[in-house]
Amino acid sequence: MDYVQNAFYDATHWNRDNSYGSLTATARALLDFDTPRGLRLNVSSLSSPNFATSYTLGSIGVVDGSLSYLYSSLPIKETSKSGEIELRHVIQGYRQLQELRRPDEQWWWEEWHQGKRVDKRDALLYGRLFLPHSTLEALYLRRISPTQQLKITSVSDSRLKSGGTILALFQHDTGKYSTEYLYSTDSALLGIRGLYNFGPDPRARAPSYTTAATTPTSPSAATLPSPSEGLHGRFSAGAELYYGLLNKSGGVSTGIRFATLPRHTGFPYTMTLNLNPLMGNLSCTYAVQAAPSLALCSRFDFNVYSYESDLQLGVELWRRRRKPDALDWARAKPGSKRKGDDGVAGVLKARVNQDWAVGVLWEGRLKDLLYTGGVTLDFRRRESPFRAVGLELQYSS
Amino acid sequence: MAFNFNWSPLTADASFYTRAQELLTTALNKSPKPPIIVDDILVNELNLGSVPPDLEILEIGDLAEDRFRGIFKMCYAGDAFLTLKTRVQANPLNTYLSTKPSFASPQPLAAASGLTIPLQITLSDIKLSAFIILVFSRQKGLTLVFRNDPLESLKVSSTFDSIPFVRDYLQNEIEAQLRTLLMDEVPAIIHRLSLRLWVPEYGAREDGEIARGDENLASREKVIDPLASPPQDPVDPSGNVLDAAQIASLSLDSSSDAHSLFSQKNLLRLEALTDSHRTLSLFTPGIRDAVFRAWAGPTERGEAHGSTSPATPMTPGISRAHSYNGSTSTTYTFCDGPDSGVHTTRPTLSSYGSAAAGLSLGAGRHGKPHTGRKRKHRVVNLRKRQSGSDDTASISGESTTAATTSSAVSEAAISCAVADDELITPPHSPQHKVRFRNSQDSIDLGDTPPRLRNLTPRLEPLTAIPIPTNPSPTIPAPPPVPRQQHASSPPARPKLRSPPSIPASAYPREKPPQPSTATSAFSSPSQPLGAPPFHYVETPSGGILEQAWLMKMAGEMARRAQEAKEKAMDGGGGFWERRNGDGERAGEGEAEPPPAYGV
Repeated sequence: MDYVQNAFYDATHWNRDNSYGSLTATARALLDFDTPRGLRLNVSSLSSPNFATSYTLGSIGVVDGSLSYLYSSLPIKETSKSGEIELRHVIQGYRQLQELRRPDEQWWWEEWHQGKRVDKRDALLYGRLFLPHSTLEALYLRRISPTQQLKITSVSDSRLKSGGTILALFQHDTGKYSTEYLYSTDSALLGIRGLYNFGPDPRARAPSYTTAATTPTSPSAATLPSPSEGLHGRFSAGAELYYGLLNKSGGVSTGIRFATLPRHTGFPYTMTLNLNPLMGNLSCTYAVQAAPSLALCSRFDFNVYSYESDLQLGVELWRRRRKPDALDWARAKPGSKRKGDDGVAGVLKARVNQDWAVGVLWEGRLKDLLYTGGVTLDFRRRESPFRAVGLELQYSS
Repeated sequence: MAFNFNWSPLTADASFYTRAQELLTTALNKSPKPPIIVDDILVNELNLGSVPPDLEILEIGDLAEDRFRGIFKMCYAGDAFLTLKTRVQANPLNTYLSTKPSFASPQPLAAASGLTIPLQITLSDIKLSAFIILVFSRQKGLTLVFRNDPLESLKVSSTFDSIPFVRDYLQNEIEAQLRTLLMDEVPAIIHRLSLRLWVPEYGAREDGEIARGDENLASREKVIDPLASPPQDPVDPSGNVLDAAQIASLSLDSSSDAHSLFSQKNLLRLEALTDSHRTLSLFTPGIRDAVFRAWAGPTERGEAHGSTSPATPMTPGISRAHSYNGSTSTTYTFCDGPDSGVHTTRPTLSSYGSAAAGLSLGAGRHGKPHTGRKRKHRVVNLRKRQSGSDDTASISGESTTAATTSSAVSEAAISCAVADDELITPPHSPQHKVRFRNSQDSIDLGDTPPRLRNLTPRLEPLTAIPIPTNPSPTIPAPPPVPRQQHASSPPARPKLRSPPSIPASAYPREKPPQPSTATSAFSSPSQPLGAPPFHYVETPSGGILEQAWLMKMAGEMARRAQEAKEKAMDGGGGFWERRNGDGERAGEGEAEPPPAYGV
């Protein structure tokens, strides 16, 4: 489902990385990955380009499962067969920042038919029902304009305080900066997040498209000699602010990130620094892709008030299929339909923190089956270090 | 009336504080904690202060040397204080998000990062005002119940007093927690402490079992109390355990209830007695105030068989039905018992034959007497003889005569089939009456199947006659046999029967009025009790001795009942009502004096 959602983002030219919430996406992918618990089976299918279903069956003590349906007004053209999906698209790993692309022009989206605008906004609907607990998740995603997106998520569960909760998120991304406004019905939480990218404004790089859609600042930026050619990385700064109207509590954090761009000639790396001034929490991460198939990440947390600290290390190892032999190109040429087969056999992720809590995850593909096996260990408890063991199987067509 | 409150010794006792702190700590950590508290709550300091609470006596329901019951009004505005230590999550966003589903959470980047802060909370200026129901008995310890919400006001001072939001939050949370503590936990704690003080056995046991819940406590009390207070023989707590094991080994009812009723000494003697039967040894231990009946055990067995099939003979109705069936199946034509049953019974009869007959006689009566005894010891004094002389006597006499004739003659020489028929036919009429009582008996015997097996071997040696006659030693058959055996019972037995029969009838009536919990508790113990005594105590001399025995039994039963009531009382607020109900039950049900006094 995430895969389909991401495909939707890609299809609508939405940059997921350009948000304050994804500032530390790389570190989270390398350090905070979830290890499955128990046995889970996942069968999904993209029955039509617009409609996808997914069934999950899990057993953690009791058998539980979920049904989910997804509808996208925009046909999703990417393959959904688990035998052909590129593992890199399914597995969250080191997130290589791409060049900012200028947002679509407003008029690109316009469709005129017999003198009337007939274009519609793309939307995505998603629902998921967890069976034993009767929990319902719903998502409504709508691209309002090339720079705006509305995302409404809700959970209905009788165990929640008021029977459920709704979160509305309005995102505005111009490339140069992005802002998000959110509101949650739970204790009337209001939030605002912003991210600003230093460096050249992507909107200014195509002066030929100077239209009303561009902001007034673009001309000035355009006049500058574009320095982007010389830059190999991007520096971003962001902040978030939350305030709960009902419980009169809030939260603040700021963060900065420097990440190399694909243009960078050395190995790619990402550095972030997050600060929560209210709680005195400091977190810095450093992730590096030391080799095409190896990524390393470290994170250090420190609280200046309680002097609590935490250090986490993570590694991601991509296992490639055996070296393509010399004749591979010949075989691949005729019907290179299996472009998804990027030679990745699997990914091994491991993390460890200063308390010797270890998590290991192995994701790979077996024929047409995607599998994820994980284990969480806690070596402080010698007698029974296994915290969780799980295996997840996915098949999609 | 005035009380002299000795408040300071409590404070002077260091061990008391440490123990109280432990108990409070476990109590505080038992209920699920709000997400803001991320660590265990430790009771750091506890001081009861120097100002004692004001107590006003509103009502005294019961007052004696070893028990007390009363209602107080308590007001407290002293200088006691309590210091708690824990760690809290200081980031409200973190606690807020921790309870939300991740799917719809805003997923903040770092705004929700946690900050755990050690927190020290001091509770002082505690103002309490409550109506307290206090029940004390030397065996049960001290039971204290709050009739209303005792907490009036409380001052919470903590590390976060400067932050109003946190302070208010803590104040509210702690007040709520404290209310549950006072209403639910404090009574339990006090009860446990009091048990430690006044019930030494409890203290000894409790050391390893503090963690256990109140339920266990109650069960423990059950066991302990009967032993502690039996008039006949003092029972040691350690002895109880042994009894249970022994009982189990004997394949008697393994229920713990049974052992609680009997002193270990007596059980040992009884065991020796039964062993002597099996081994044909001539030594029979003397048991005071007891009459030895050789065949009492087997009869009970037979009845038990009938009753055994219903594993849960708790309800009198069920047990009765079984008994009826059994009777029908055994032999009685009038009953229209299934033929198959009769056939089966015959071989068994032959096998157990004489022994069974003798036993059956005893059993039919015995079983009744058991039930009767319980009531009896109340009723017995007056009734027993009357009843014996009255209708029951006549009835029993008939049955006995028939049985005796049949059993003696037929069993010995006659082949199985013939013997069966004969045996069967004569007892019918008597049995019919007997059955009613039997039903009650069966209740008592409910768990007896194992016994039967055990008994059967014993019986065989005793009754040499049956052995030759028995072609088929099928064990299952025995149930029918006992009834036939009834007939063979000696004349003396009928008397015994008659008294029990009356009580038996009373017994079923009583049960319904009892509170459900009380009844269950009561009835279950009663069954094992009734059965085992007869088993073991097989006294040849039926009349006076047996009466005496019955008296004792009745006394124990009464105690039992009381205990059951008390347990029920411990259970909760319904205590008083139940108690009253019990009292009424005891008094009204049979119009007899309460069991305790009877003994």
